[in-house]
This record gives sequence, C-alpha cells and structure tokens, in this order.
Amino acid sequence: MSTITAARVAPKARTEADPVGAPAPAIRLTGLGKRYAHDGPVVLDGIDLEVAPGEFTCLLGASGCGKSTLLSIVAGLEKPTAGAVEVADGGAAVMFQDASLLPWLTARRNVELALRLGGSGLSAPSRRARALELLDVVNLADAAEKRPHELSGGMRQRVALARALAQERPVLLMDEPFAALDAITRDLLHEELQRVWRETGRTIVFVTHNVREAVRLGQRVLLMSSRPGRIVREWQIADEGPRRIESPQVGTLSIEITEHLRREIRRNA
Amino acid sequence: MPELLSDGRVASEDPGGRVTSEDPGGRGAPKARTETTTILGLDTVPSGPTRPTNTTDSLDADLRGLDALQTEVRTARPWWRRLVDGALPPIVLLALLIAAWQAYTVIAQPRPDLSPGPLDVAAALGQAWESGRLQLAVTTSLERGVLGFLIAVAIGTPLGLLLAESRLLRRAFQPLLSGLQVLPSVAWVPAAIIWFGLTDATVYFVVLMGAVPSIANGLVAGIDQVPPQLRRVGTVLGASRWQLATAVVVPAALPGYLAGLRQGWAFSWRSLMAAEIIAFGGTIGFGLGSMLQQSRDLADLAGALGTILVILAIGVVIELLVFAPIERGLLRRRGLTGAGA
Repeated sequence: MSTITAARVAPKARTEADPVGAPAPAIRLTGLGKRYAHDGPVVLDGIDLEVAPGEFTCLLGASGCGKSTLLSIVAGLEKPTAGAVEVADGGAAVMFQDASLLPWLTARRNVELALRLGGSGLSAPSRRARALELLDVVNLADAAEKRPHELSGGMRQRVALARALAQERPVLLMDEPFAALDAITRDLLHEELQRVWRETGRTIVFVTHNVREAVRLGQRVLLMSSRPGRIVREWQIADEGPRRIESPQVGTLSIEITEHLRREIRRNA
Repeated sequence: MPELLSDGRVASEDPGGRVTSEDPGGRGAPKARTETTTILGLDTVPSGPTRPTNTTDSLDADLRGLDALQTEVRTARPWWRRLVDGALPPIVLLALLIAAWQAYTVIAQPRPDLSPGPLDVAAALGQAWESGRLQLAVTTSLERGVLGFLIAVAIGTPLGLLLAESRLLRRAFQPLLSGLQVLPSVAWVPAAIIWFGLTDATVYFVVLMGAVPSIANGLVAGIDQVPPQLRRVGTVLGASRWQLATAVVVPAALPGYLAGLRQGWAFSWRSLMAAEIIAFGGTIGFGLGSMLQQSRDLADLAGALGTILVILAIGVVIELLVFAPIERGLLRRRGLTGAGA
C-alpha cells in the first residue's frame, strides 16, 4: 500500500503562524457574499469561516441553500460579490457529484492529465508511475486501463479522488461526491475517504445534504440556512477514530442536527 | 491500522478532544448568528451489535468485491463473426436486386438501348476498362475528390474553431454558413467557369464551396455539445486556455467533428461529379463526371448506368473503409455504442 506523505501538504500554511500562535488557516472567508444578478436574490450573505489545515469540515444545508456556490467560490470557479477568500498556497482540488472524468481517457490517463495540467513537472514515465501509485491508493490498480464507461459509479468517484489527490493541493473540496451512489458503495467510500484523509492530511470541505453522512465524516459540521445562505450553527465533533454511520451516537446527533435543519427550512415557508 | 492512528495530528491539535467556542485559532469564533456545539467523540464505546473493526485489509477486500460485482464482463464477438454479421445483409440485398433486374430483362425483353440489363452494363464497363478510360476517370476523380476534401478540411477546421470560440464572428458568419450548406454547390459551376475558365480551379472551387461549410458547421456543433462540466473540470485541474482547448474541448468535440467530416466528404464527392458533368473540355481532365457526360452524348445508356454504379461504389467503399471504422472506434472508446454497433 503506497501512502501519500503529508509533508508535501501546504508547508507554507503551517510555518506562517498567526499572532495567536495557531497555524494559519487553510481557508479563510471574510464577509463573503454572492448574488448572481445585480438586483437578484442574495445567495450567500456575510459568510465568515476559517478552516484549519488538516481539518475535515462538512457543510450541510437544504438543496439550493448556496453550499455548492460557496464551494465554487473557494475553488475559484466563481467570483464573490462581497468579501474575501483566502486559500492556502497551492489552492484547492475539487471533486464533483458526477466523477466528471474525460470519457475518452482510461482511468490512468485521467489521473495523468491532472499531473500534466497541474504543472507537476514530472516526465511522462514518472507521471505514469505516479498515476498508477495514486490509483493504488484508492484500490483501483487493476482498473487502470479501463475507460470511465467500463467502471461503476463508485469506481469512477475513486478515480476522481485519485485525480484530485494527483493535484497535490493542500485543500480538497468535495461537492456531494457520493450523492448519486447506492448506500453500500457510499458506506465503503466513506471509509475509504476517511482513510485517505488520515494518510494524506488534506484539508477537506465536504458539501452534502445528508445529515448522517456529515456526522459520519466531519470533525466539524456547519449548518447553512437558505435564502440568504448563512452559516447558522456548527457542531465540533472530537475525532476519536473511525465512526460507523449506524452507531447510536451518530444517530442521536443526526436527529439533533436534522431538527435544526428542519427549523431552517420552515423559516422559508 | 497502526499507521492510521500514529498520525497523531488530530489528537495533538486538541488533546482534550474538544474545541470550545473560545478557541484561540478563531475558527468558529462566536458570531452573533453562529452557535457552536461541541460533541465529545462519537462511537467510542460501541454499544449493541458491532461489525468488525474496519481494518485497511477488510476495506480493500470489500471494495474489490463490490468492484467485481458492479463491473460487467463483456465477451467480444470474434472478428469474422462481426464481419459476416455486418457485410452479409447488404450483399444479399445487392444480389437480389441484380437478380430481379436480370429477370426483368429476360422475361419482359425491353429494348436494350432504353433498358439495358446487368450484363449489358457490365459489358460497357469492361469496354471502358479495356480502352483505359475507366481507370483514367477513376484515378482523376479520386485524386480531385481526396485533394479537394483535404483542402476543405484545412480551411473548414480553423474556421470552425474560430466560430466556436468567438461569439461575435459566429453571430456574423453562422447564417451565411448555414445558407451555403443548403445551397446546392452545383449552382456555383456557371460562375466558376466564368471566373476560372475550364480549368481544375473551377472543379476545386465548387468542391470547396460544397465541403467547407459542412466541416466547419460540424466542428461548431461538436464544440457546442461539449458538456460545460468538462470545461469546469479542465479549469479546476489548472489548464491554461490553450490546454483547455487541446486537452479537453477538441477531443470532446471529436464525434461532432467526425460527423461534419463525413458530410463534408459526401458533399465533396457530389460537387465534384456535378462540376465534371457541366464543365467539360478545356484543360479539365477526364473524370467520372466527364465519362458520364460522354455516355450521354453517345446515347450509351449502358455506359451511363455503369458509370453511375462506379460513382456510387466509390462513395460506399470510402464510407465503409474510412469513416465507419473511425467512427466506430471513437464511439466505442467513449462507451457510446448502442446495440446496433
């Protein structure tokens, strides 16, 4: 089993200490606001958020609350209309709900493309070797020469994860990456993602509308309100090893968070 | 498992296993509207029935099992089987048509100069072959068709790229291009003869007017159909504008481009025949169109029908030997082949 060392992850973000002595955040949003049209509805309003390096944060909210927009802004795909975004040196890799692999390339070549476009500076043979290494991290070494249409949905998402890891960016943004998968596959991929997170020390922001998924994965769960999108509540969950999605504690906290989520939805009635 | 726990990063960051809202790091700093709740570890003491602790090994095995269940193993048909399945129906149809034609000439005994049978047509072609006119006509026409098509590709491709990327140019040119695509290119022949006289330039001009719009339009349509999500992925992966075009957009647009090329070839071939029939003599060489025109002048219906069959056969052969395999490969690699392929 090959491991991706955490040493490469945002060395700068860790050495620059802020005045209080804590490490500089991997992501810092200050007063972030977004509206699509000049006189359109406010999608995001006054979002202040700091995510520490290596933290696993889940962003939870009803459909249309602006959580994907928030992620797109952090990814640099969209521009905020107010406030500022700071992302640790190296920027962010993104995983989408559909794997978004290039259908004409094999799994390996999809990962190699990320190495090439990301400016890894590797030669073609070492890109190939590195891509195989990364596919092994997500248990897909045997499927390296298959094309996306020959892979199952879960396998495609793992190729997308390997591709995101290939970018060597300190931050990994995930936009409902497992929403389209069946429950069994999703459960296994939760474990896989947790393992990769622990091995690589990436900072992960995981957007979901599934409360249990958020509680299962996150060290921190942020609840967003809708129209305008604001972060209204957050839960810090001490990380004491792997959790199970069916455990009673996860269930209890999920019920509590669901209560708050429903309350936010009702406010729009 | 040990290497996972030995990471220690998380534990050393907050040894108490809890983060309060007065956290000096400032994350979750108490804002008026954000409320922070701290939860002690979940799932520390498993209560009730537990499943085996998830070691890396069992996770690997689980994933491998699931992968095996979710990917279908497809057995490919042997090549000769595919060939027979693909080639047999049209060959049988062709044989039936010729047999019916021959039966008609034998039974109804029509005048051979008005309705020649398959044997008369074959004899006319044999005669043309012996005199060398057939070989000359086929090579002349093929050379012009292929060369004209390649020039059309060289012009149509950059034109298509330009129109796909520039909104303004596209708004200006698209109606003109669509109009040219509808206009039968044979309409250009009289004008071309006046401009260029009875030279090869006339023939190539007509071919280009027929093929370039199809190729450019095909490429524009192909690029329009590239899912926006693929462009987003390219951007996220750090592609420059040029890399986005070469590594993502153009490969994604290939099926549409190929459809345009195919139509472009059909238009080239048709325009070429039209030009050769009308523009006859001068320095224009002897092509299949010229041969057709010559048969008409000699009232040689068997020769005319034979030439038509040759023109048709060349079109079919190029379609089957060049475009069909390329398209099949392209679509198969993308998982776009239906049951028919």
